[in-house]
Amino acid sequence: MTVIRLARRPDVWTVLKWVVAIAVAVIAIFPLWWMVNVVFSLPGEPVSINPRLWPTSVAAGIDKIAMIFAETEYFRAYVVSLIYSILTIFGVLAVSSLAAFEFSLFDFPGKKITIAIVMLSLMVPTAVTIIPTYLLTSELGWLNTMQGLVVPGIASAFGLFMLMQFMRAIPRDMIEAARLDGAGHFEIYWHIALPLSRNAMVTLAILTFMRTWGNYMWPLIVGTRPEMYTVGQVVGLFNAPLSHQTVDVVMTANLLAAVPPLLFFLIFQRKIVEGIAMSGTKG
Amino acid sequence: MSFLEISSATKSYGRHKVLEDVNLTIERGEFVVFVGPSGCGKSTLLRMITGLETITSGTISIEGAVMNDVDPAKRGTAMVFQSYALYPHMTVFENISFGLRMARKPKEYIASQVAQGAGILQLEKLLERRPGQLSGGQKQRVAIGRAIVRDPRVFLFDEPLSNLDAELRVQMRAELMDLHRRLGTTMIYVTHDQVEAMTLADKMVVMNGGRVQQAGRPLTLYDDPDNRFVAGFVGSPKMNFLPARVVGSDMGRILLEGIGGSARLSLPFAGELAVGTSVEIGLRPEHVSLRPLLPTESSEALVGEGKVAYVEDLGAESHVHLTLTDGTAVCLRAARGEASPGTTVRFFASPERALLFDAGGLRLRNRSARTK
Ligand SMILES: Nc1ncnc2c1ncn2[C@@H]1O[C@H](COP(=O)(O)OP(=O)(O)OP(=O)(O)O)[C@@H](O)[C@H]1O
Ligand SMILES: [Mg+2]
Repeated sequence: MTVIRLARRPDVWTVLKWVVAIAVAVIAIFPLWWMVNVVFSLPGEPVSINPRLWPTSVAAGIDKIAMIFAETEYFRAYVVSLIYSILTIFGVLAVSSLAAFEFSLFDFPGKKITIAIVMLSLMVPTAVTIIPTYLLTSELGWLNTMQGLVVPGIASAFGLFMLMQFMRAIPRDMIEAARLDGAGHFEIYWHIALPLSRNAMVTLAILTFMRTWGNYMWPLIVGTRPEMYTVGQVVGLFNAPLSHQTVDVVMTANLLAAVPPLLFFLIFQRKIVEGIAMSGTKG
Repeated sequence: MSFLEISSATKSYGRHKVLEDVNLTIERGEFVVFVGPSGCGKSTLLRMITGLETITSGTISIEGAVMNDVDPAKRGTAMVFQSYALYPHMTVFENISFGLRMARKPKEYIASQVAQGAGILQLEKLLERRPGQLSGGQKQRVAIGRAIVRDPRVFLFDEPLSNLDAELRVQMRAELMDLHRRLGTTMIYVTHDQVEAMTLADKMVVMNGGRVQQAGRPLTLYDDPDNRFVAGFVGSPKMNFLPARVVGSDMGRILLEGIGGSARLSLPFAGELAVGTSVEIGLRPEHVSLRPLLPTESSEALVGEGKVAYVEDLGAESHVHLTLTDGTAVCLRAARGEASPGTTVRFFASPERALLFDAGGLRLRNRSARTK
């Protein structure tokens, strides 16, 4: 088998496919790589040699990272972002799965119209709802609080939709068998529906993380005090035209922001691809 | 008072009536089989007994207590589904013990119940497996195990063997019979399969169009059906129905004419039947013969003529299908080689074996010779 494969000359299409794939990969990776190069170089060098292909000074890069952690609230922003993401993930999972459980497995009056309304909200762009949401949050006195950051993001029409599709596939017999086995409503959810939707839940968690970590607009609006800054906002400050920072320091801040999602991606690569394929849309 | 009583139970979905006026009594320890064509309401009735469907009107009671509003889990019924409905993410042990765990039974009790149930069903070696790693027959046993450990008052089975291949069905059927003998628990069983119904049932309940057509011992239903539907549904090959006309009645006998075209028959019948009434004669294939009856068998046999349409040779016997002059089809059991397709043959039947049905399909019983 291997022998045959080695002996076979790749045809034109295979070669072409590889060329395209590699070109796309290079285009996607180069900015990241360039960022790494700029960070790990001596100050002053960045602007003079452009573009460069290899990092020149690891020590200088580490110095810059240390400087950012020491002189800015970057670490605090990390913590805020992390808590924000984790709370949002748990919130989205809990709310979406509970709602999906009811919508997909049971009948109740007003079900159709409720689903229609939720699905409608999926079509409305965030920009439209952001002002009313802001007003409501401020009314509740939640500006500059963690709940103000997290709670509006918990109601995820997308998550509901995705889990509903999944839970619809649970056979009615199985739910009825559990009912005859004496499981209450919540126990059916907890012992049957949840474990059976594990894959979808993992996917939803991943997509939610990627969306929350990269969310710039909402934290910017709701968390105006420095102690509520997320990583995104801090990077935004560095990027601002009047920040008086040199390119390499700005790049360091950007790199630090990109590290968690990158690590996350490397760990969950397969799940993410599966998830995107499964949901048919990007988070 | 019977163990389980269903009285004037009905079920409708909106305006669509699915079950109408169902009355049925079931004794403790009986093996009851519901049969009937697809869509006649067998599953619905079963689900009403176990509480998965509400009862629109009427009552269902078990051991004297009305069950209409009792929670499904508290009725003391256990159901085995056609799809098995095992929980795929749990091991066999977890599947079987799920109900006990939900009831917060002590660990030792659960362990001993599962061990006992697994012993009865020979599942000891499979307890750590998941349903995905089991064969169809094993899954079926797990599903039964899940029912057994709860010590139900009534077992309900909805076509439990229909997903199994023929050989396994026969084996599981024997196992079920054995299980019923050992546990002595009341069992209600839904099936499409004639043979399953005949062999398993203490009481067979034939349903059609949302009504119970007849309930009784399988052989009683076979020999003494209440109506044309039951007569035609029970038994394979099916009973033959020959249209006829009453032309006279005299001294406890009636004379029928125009049977399958031209044949005549005089048969004992004590009852009122006006001359000119259209009736149907029901004859089981084994009661129709290709050779003349001996005088001891019958004094005045029904003699007819038909063309052999085709012959099914089954080895031990043949099913000969005749077409009579008026187009009526008649099937009879014969020995191998007794008839060949295309020929015209004469057939004989004893009037004592003939059943009579009126135009509406109701059985016309010979009152003098009633069995009940
Ligand atoms: N939820 C429902 N809504 C409306 N009609 C229903 C519903 N469930 C069942 N029916 C109808 O009730 C009738 C009886 O259904 P049921 O499942 O009891 O039949 P069955 O005898 O078990 O048939 P089968 O042998 O095919 O399993 C059918 O005509 C079916 O269409
Ligand atoms: Mg059914």
